[in-house]
Amino acid sequence: MINNADDNTLLTVTGLKTYFPVRGGLLSRTKAWVKAVNGVDLTVRRGKTLGLVGESGSGKTTAGRTLLRLIRPTGGKVVFDGQDVFSLKGSEMRAVRKRIQIIFQDPVGSLNPRMSVGNIVGEPLKVHSSMTRRERQAEVGRLLERVGLAAGYARRYPHEFSGGQRQRIGIARALAPKPDFIVCDEPVSALDVSIQAQILNLLSDLQDELGLSYLFIAHNLAVVEHFAHQVAVMYLGKIVEVADRDALYNSPTHPYTRALLSAVPRPEPNADRERIRLPGEVPSPINPPSGCTFHPRCPLTRQLAADLSGSERHTVVVDGQASPIVKRCTIDMPELKPVAGDGAHCHACLLQQD
Amino acid sequence: MTPEHTTLPPQQADGGDHLVSGRSLWGDARRRIMRDPWAMICLGIIVLYALIAIGGVCYELAAEHYDDVPAFEETSDYDNTNRHPSLESPRFYLGTDWAGKSVLYKTLLGVKVSLTVGFMANIVAIPLGVILGAIAGFYGKWIDTLIVWLFSTLASIPGIMLLIALRYAFEEIPPIFGIIDLAGVPGVCVALGVVSWIGTCRLVRAEVMKIRELDYVIAARAIGTPKFIIMLRHVIPNVLHLAIINFSLGFVWAVKSEVILSYLGLGVPVGVPSWGNMINAARTDLFMGRWWELTAAVGAMFFLVLALNIFGDRLRDSLDPKLRNV
Ligand SMILES: Nc1ncnc2c1ncn2[C@@H]1O[C@H](COP(=O)(O)OP(=O)(O)OP(=O)(O)O)[C@@H](O)[C@H]1O
Ligand SMILES: [Mg+2]
Repeated sequence: MINNADDNTLLTVTGLKTYFPVRGGLLSRTKAWVKAVNGVDLTVRRGKTLGLVGESGSGKTTAGRTLLRLIRPTGGKVVFDGQDVFSLKGSEMRAVRKRIQIIFQDPVGSLNPRMSVGNIVGEPLKVHSSMTRRERQAEVGRLLERVGLAAGYARRYPHEFSGGQRQRIGIARALAPKPDFIVCDEPVSALDVSIQAQILNLLSDLQDELGLSYLFIAHNLAVVEHFAHQVAVMYLGKIVEVADRDALYNSPTHPYTRALLSAVPRPEPNADRERIRLPGEVPSPINPPSGCTFHPRCPLTRQLAADLSGSERHTVVVDGQASPIVKRCTIDMPELKPVAGDGAHCHACLLQQD
Repeated sequence: MTPEHTTLPPQQADGGDHLVSGRSLWGDARRRIMRDPWAMICLGIIVLYALIAIGGVCYELAAEHYDDVPAFEETSDYDNTNRHPSLESPRFYLGTDWAGKSVLYKTLLGVKVSLTVGFMANIVAIPLGVILGAIAGFYGKWIDTLIVWLFSTLASIPGIMLLIALRYAFEEIPPIFGIIDLAGVPGVCVALGVVSWIGTCRLVRAEVMKIRELDYVIAARAIGTPKFIIMLRHVIPNVLHLAIINFSLGFVWAVKSEVILSYLGLGVPVGVPSWGNMINAARTDLFMGRWWELTAAVGAMFFLVLALNIFGDRLRDSLDPKLRNV
């Protein structure tokens, strides 16, 4: 992505990599690496939402947690409000922790079952402020009311709440240290559809009111459509396309984005939004395909290969079916480059770049 | 943060106000166990044994301080040796042994030894297992390697061999502070404790390694809560139920092990009334058709172990947060 870091930029991620060791054999040596995040660039603007969309296993959670330093990064750089997050020490890092929070997908696992709601929401206040017990209780009550719960719920325990209410408790906890930026890791994926809208509305209101910035992770493009200002699409640990919301939904360029978008139900029946089925499955991040990691499943490279001569073609076998593809796609690694005519719209597709 | 603008009125937030108020998981578990008749019967039996043990302590204190109360060792009655059980007098209810001592009284005094051993062996071993297991599982790295090495080494020696080795070793050690005589009952407790923390430690370590990855621990790290506080506030409370369950199971194990050690002549000293010593004495008795001493000791142990086992099982069911809504 273009480095247009200016006053509007809150967070920039460049070349982020997170590899997990796969151990095995005698003495549990590292045999291989799971390349969960393999060179991710992102920019989050102040007061805006960046949607991060990708299939299960594409590395969204890992990316979100790595940039908070909850997982050790393998490489890359994260700059939050001018500070290089990965090089901060002790008290500087604590100051940043206060400003970045996270909301989780699982409404059950994200709250300690042995702690009362008051203690859960009050924990950040205990760590980051010197409030007295009484002040803290008052603040917890305010936070609970702000997320649509009664202040009296502070005495209760997580198991006494429904999924949507627990998610609100998680949001209250994230709001407690008065952060600027929240990583929302699929916060509505585990909820009923009717409740999803309530939680999204709440997050959206909080953004308007408190000027929050979000990195909003989702596994399909439908959820973020009405919520994100910018959307980045992730495939196998890499960003394949990023654009402002309207540009991405109206004129997607990357074949993977097009396939994802074709799965989003539209209110108006649209002829060119026919469902694109991708052959095969998401490959393992331990041994990703060479060149463009999307090449074995890419419809575009198949289409273009038809017109090419033998030496420029290569054959892949997916689902027991051999198909010709463009040879270059198996060799060169595409970079995230701007789409002609729109500086904010970038994609990583060799076939559409020169 | 201003509360004036809320998306929903508080009471309508998905669900309404149908909730019972403020039940912690601990309170919940307590309520459930109290409503479980089997658990309560077993608890009753355990309390009864505890009262008998306290009675035994009172008797010993009385024997020490009043000349007209004879110590148990001095109650030999050579006119009434090896009597069959009879209803003539309470001291003959379960017959007498080779020296004419009442088997009933001996059995009742044996409760004290068993409960002392069961309690003392675990009161140190369980906390030790929980703390070491939590540290190993939570911090990982070299400290985990060290602790795992320690318990694997101990665990590679068969438990009974280790107990026997420790007991022999303790016989050489002079009493600590002049009172804790490792050759006697305290030594049995220590030896059992050394062996029994391993199981708890292993279990707790495995559970902590799971909990360490849960979202609420990640959330605490994102908040910036110091590591040590995370372990105390988020991790240990969620494995504490394992400690309680292990306490009841470890208790059973210690009671049984004391009997085995005493039977082998390595447990509590021979003069002390204990079930293990009674079973040991019965080795020769049985040939002569004297079954009552063995039966009394085994029976007393049977009911205690059974009650502890069932109670431990029920405790597990009521404490396990995963079985909550069943
Ligand atoms: N601690 C770990 N050790 C090893 N591999 C891991 C670890 N965490 C994640 N992975 C692997 O990294 C890849 C990316 O996982 P991640 O959870 O980030 O995906 P995701 O996009 O969030 O998926 P989902 O939509 O299922 O949440 C997966 O292949 C996963 O198996
Ligand atoms: Mg995820």
